Parts: sequence; structure tokens; C-alpha cells
Amino acid sequence: MNFDIGLVFESIPKMLVGLGLTLELLILSSFIGLVLAVITLLMRISGRWFLVAPAVTYIYIFRGTPILVQIFVIYFGFPQFEFVRESVFWPFLREPFWCCILALSLNAGAYVSEILRGGMLGVDKGILEAASALGISKTQSFIYITSPIAIRLSLPAYSNDIISMTKATALASTVTLLDMTGVARTIVAQTFAPYEIFLSVAIIYMIMAWMIQKGFGMAEKRMSRYLKPAAG
Amino acid sequence: MSEQEPIIVLENVCKYFGEFKALSDVNLTVQKGERIVVCGPSGSGKSTMIRCINRLEEHDSGRIVVGGKELTSEVKDIDAVRREVGMVFQSFNLFPHLKVLGNLTLALKLVREMPKPEARETAMRYLERVHIPEQADKYPSQLSGGQQQRVAIARALCMNPEVMLFDEPTSALDPEMISEVLDVMVELAEEGMTMICVTHEMGFARSVANNIVFMDHGEIVEANPPEEFFDNPKHERTKLFLSQIIGH
Amino acid sequence: MSELVGWADDYFWGAMVVLRVFAVSLVLAVVIGLIGSAMKLSGSRVAQTIANAYTVVFRGTPELLVLLIVYFGAAVTLTAIGQSFDASVKFIDIPPFWAGAFAIALIVGAYMTETFRGAFLGVDPGHVEAARALGLSKFQTFVYVRIPQMWRLALPNFGNHMLSLMKDTALISVIGVEEIVFVAKIATPVTLKPFTMYFIVALIYLCITTVITLAVMAMEKYANKHLVSSR
Repeated sequence: MNFDIGLVFESIPKMLVGLGLTLELLILSSFIGLVLAVITLLMRISGRWFLVAPAVTYIYIFRGTPILVQIFVIYFGFPQFEFVRESVFWPFLREPFWCCILALSLNAGAYVSEILRGGMLGVDKGILEAASALGISKTQSFIYITSPIAIRLSLPAYSNDIISMTKATALASTVTLLDMTGVARTIVAQTFAPYEIFLSVAIIYMIMAWMIQKGFGMAEKRMSRYLKPAAG
Repeated sequence: MSEQEPIIVLENVCKYFGEFKALSDVNLTVQKGERIVVCGPSGSGKSTMIRCINRLEEHDSGRIVVGGKELTSEVKDIDAVRREVGMVFQSFNLFPHLKVLGNLTLALKLVREMPKPEARETAMRYLERVHIPEQADKYPSQLSGGQQQRVAIARALCMNPEVMLFDEPTSALDPEMISEVLDVMVELAEEGMTMICVTHEMGFARSVANNIVFMDHGEIVEANPPEEFFDNPKHERTKLFLSQIIGH
Repeated sequence: MSELVGWADDYFWGAMVVLRVFAVSLVLAVVIGLIGSAMKLSGSRVAQTIANAYTVVFRGTPELLVLLIVYFGAAVTLTAIGQSFDASVKFIDIPPFWAGAFAIALIVGAYMTETFRGAFLGVDPGHVEAARALGLSKFQTFVYVRIPQMWRLALPNFGNHMLSLMKDTALISVIGVEEIVFVAKIATPVTLKPFTMYFIVALIYLCITTVITLAVMAMEKYANKHLVSSR
């Protein structure tokens, strides 16, 4: 069996055609997911049961089920309902692209809100007491003290989540979308060269993951400049 | 000594942590300008008591009155009280993500709603008062323990409180840095600040305190001016405690 | 409603398939994780490079892609090998169940490698020294001292990996394994209720992940019972 390395290099540019869609999926879902995550977090920590319960349920469902299933429920499942087909959202919900965005965003929202909550819990209680003792209100304390510290603490886990999201975008290919994986599958079906094609697209994904990791590493370094320098 | 309202009153205060009785019928009166030192073995309730005064802990029964306002669960009361009561913690609790100046000006801007330039000026003034104005632009992690605690004192002083509470301010410091903090506290006392200080520093207590309160098992066992307290302790438990800490 | 009852059987057997893939993958992943972490901690440059390459590749590549490579790649390789022996061989492939289980094991194994590595590093070296000083061999120390300690440290992350693994099993429907997603696919044109069909799939996964989460919490309690809580 021969491994056609030439085919690998030939295919990479073809894969990049799908890159645009992959990035669209990633960036849009990450952004919407972040907004959802903040809202969910605020609901979760509000202390009022009618806000906490939906938030907790939402997180539980979306962290407890596979993304693929979430996509299928939305893409294949929603059209079952007449009220969906007749709603103002139908033009979006019939499109695989928007179904994927919805599923990925909801997924991101659930995971990221837990990540942010973890960051919040990592803030030293003593510092919050000092703020209270100065007469700073709970809300002000949350904005000016908890949030900056919690964000820095959340960065490592958040960067991992973004990388997971990047990989999750590949699932869009299961509902006919031609992202990088979708393009790859099409080409493999034509050339019967799974190793070469899939390998080249895997390389692109890995480069993306590496870049995201580096980017967040730099952001983390910047945010951590006020921390104790490592003991000599 | 004028007949004015005491600035802090604790009347029959009790506090439970679950089954454990942390404070047992505590009665204390503090006049303006008084310096009280609270001492006792660990677990005696000293920290709990002063934390009840600015309501970082909530007392379960009895009355606590601070600056004429009784402490209840009304939010307005609590914030108003805390503005007038400054607290210095054993572990400094400086805001790590803000520079020294930022630590001092945050509450001024948020609570006293001071404009930026005025806040900055006030902060620098208090930094000078604790003798470290040159550290204004550093982050807390870049300062020594003694310097951090002095910043913490300045931060509390910026709010111009009526009373300063100190919760074992030097217990977390390396020995050589204790005096720089105690010196600042002595200066504060000489300027007439009302202080309640939980500490093991008996030398400080002897020279600065008007009254020394000894607590054990959640109760105030004995409260006397320093001369009486050290030279003529009345209770067995007080004698035992003193022999343990002033031995070496 | 009655038509749904008819599918209950299929869902049940589909769920059994899912659980079987889960079990097989989990065992393989743990083995791979232990080998991988041992290689990373071994001190041998070659072993470390291989292990590092492995974790980078399998943590940076989409799970779906790994699955596709393993399944189609294996088919191509086996067919080529078969043809080299006997030119009349048309097509050999491995059952998608095994391709899927192996692919998932490779993916989760990469994460397990990292978790185990961190956990091994967290084991108190003093304990290891004591064991060796008592005369235990390297292997005995590994089994009786390092692994039990490492296990406790690894448990929280291990629980998360188990949950990921469970959710990754949904992907095997893409390569044709007849499990619950597949059931929903074939039931939809019959019942004309795609939402219901896929919702049941989601529900089944939710139940399984809940059980796993509870099991992990119980394991964590058990693993930490010898630690006295302070108060």
C-alpha cells in the first residue's frame, strides 16, 4: 500500500475551502455561547429559585447529552412541530447552518457558564470580606473584584473549551454542511484515499488548536502580571 | 471624661456556629477615643466578636449598637455602618489585581463616590501616613508582608472611619516586620483613633491600650486597664493565659 | 403513542450496544492512558516524543475525523493487505463496532494520558521511597503504592473523561453502528415524529451520564474516606 504524500499537500488547499465555514461556525457559536454563559451564570448565582432552576436544568441537559444528538434533535426534530414551521424563525431553523449554530451555542453556553462559575469560586473569600468591610456593595464587589479575578482564573479551562468547540464544528458535516470535514469526506468518497485526505484536514485542525492555545497563553500571561513572581 | 454615648455597645451577645457556642453573653462598651485590646487563647471568640461588630458575622441574640445604629438585617444599616468601621485582617486581603493606589481608591470611588483626582489625593495622603508613598504604583504581590499590611491599614483609613478594628494584624507577619506595623498602629492611637485590636502583642497592649479584655470559651472573663490586668489578674484562667504567653 | 412502544425494544438493544462500546472503549482507553503516561514519565527521549506526538495529535483532531480515519483507513489498509495475498479479494473491513470503540479509545486515551501523568506526579515521593526502602520491587511499588494514590488524584478528571467517552459513542452512528441514534433514524420515516425519536435518544444518554456522574461522586467519596476532614 502506498501513501501518496503528494496527495496530502495537494489536498490541503482544497480543505481550506471549507475553512471559512468552520471558522464561521466556531466564531459565531463561541460569541453567542459566551453571552448565553454569562446570562446563565447570573441566573445560577441569583439565589432565586425560578432563575436557578432553569439555569441548572439547561446546564444539566446540555452537558449530559452528546452534541451530535443535540444537532439532530434541532435539525431533524424541530420540523416535527407545526408551530416551528410557521414561526418567524423557520427560515433559520430549516437551514442546517443555523441549526448547528443553535446547537453549538447552547452547548458552549452550558459549559462556559460552569467554567466561569468555577473561576468565581476560586476568588479568595478574604478579599471579598475586605470589600464588604469597606462598605462596597455586593453588586459593586461582583463587578470590580470578583469578575476580573474570576476571568483570569477561567482562562485555561475556557481555552480548552474553545478548542473543543473547534473540533465540534466537524459535526456539521453530518448534516450536509461543507465545512472542512464535510469537504474532506466528499473528496475521500471520490478518491478512496482516506489516510491522505483526512490527515491533511487533521493537520489544519491541529494548527488551529495550536494557535488558539498560544493566543490564550499570551492573554493569560498578560492578565497574570500582577501575580507573585515565582520564587527564585 | 465626658458623658457621651459610647460608640460601640455589645449587650448580652450570643453567637452559635451550629451547635458550637462561639460567643456567650458578651457585654462590652467602647467610648470614643478608647483603645481596647482583646486577647485570649485561640477559639475563645475574639475574632468572632469583632467580626460581629461590622457584621461580617451575624449575632444570634443580644444587641449590638455601632455609632448609634443598631445592627439588624436591614441592608442600608449594614453598608452605612461598615463605612464608619474600618477593618484590618490577619491575611491583609488586598485586592491582587489592583495596584496599591487602586486598592485605596476603589472604595472611595464606589462608596463615597469621590471623583478620581480627589480619591487619588486622599489615597496618597494616607499612603504617606503609613510611610510608603513610593509603593503607590506597585502590585500587592510585589510588596513585603509588613508593607502589605500597612497598605491595608491605609486602605481602611481612607474611608475616614470612626472606629478601627484589627483582627490579629501581625500574626501572619515575619517577626522583623511586626514592628513597622505596630508603629503605625501606635501613631494612630496617639492621634486619638478609637481602636479594638485582637492581638497577641502584649508589649503593644501594655503601652497603648486603655483596657485589656481577656476572652475564653466565648466569654469575657476579665477586662481591666493594663496595669491591673498584667500585675494583678483576678481570675485563674487569666493568670494561666498570662503565664503561658509571657513566659519566654 | 402506541407506535412508540413498538420501538422500545429497538431502543433498548441500541442502548445495550452503546454500553458495550462504552465498556470496551473505557478499558482500552485506561490501558492506553497508563502506557502513555508511563512513557511520558519514563525519561526516555524516544518514548516521550512518541507519547507527546500521540497526545498532541489525538487531542487536537476532531473526534469525528479520528473515527472516520480509523474506520475507512482500516478498511483500505486491510483490503490492500488482503489483495496482496489474494488478488480476488474485493473488500475487507473491520466491524464498525470495533473501529468505533478503538477510535474512541485512542481519543480519550490521549486525555487519560495527561490526567494520569499529572496524577502520578502528584504522588508523594516520600511514599515511594518508603516502599522501596522496605524492599518492594519497582513493579510492586508501582502497583501497590503509586497506582492507588494516583487513582485518588486522577478521579475527578477521570470522571469527566468517562462522561466525554460516553458522549463520543454517539458518533459511531455515523459509521453505521446500529445503536440508538440509528434507531431514531429509521424510526422517523415510520412514526413521522423525528423530535420524539431523537429526544428519546437524548433522554437515554442523559440517564446514562447521570448514572456515571453519581457513580463517580460515590467513588470520590470512597477514595477519600481515609482522609480526615478538619473542623
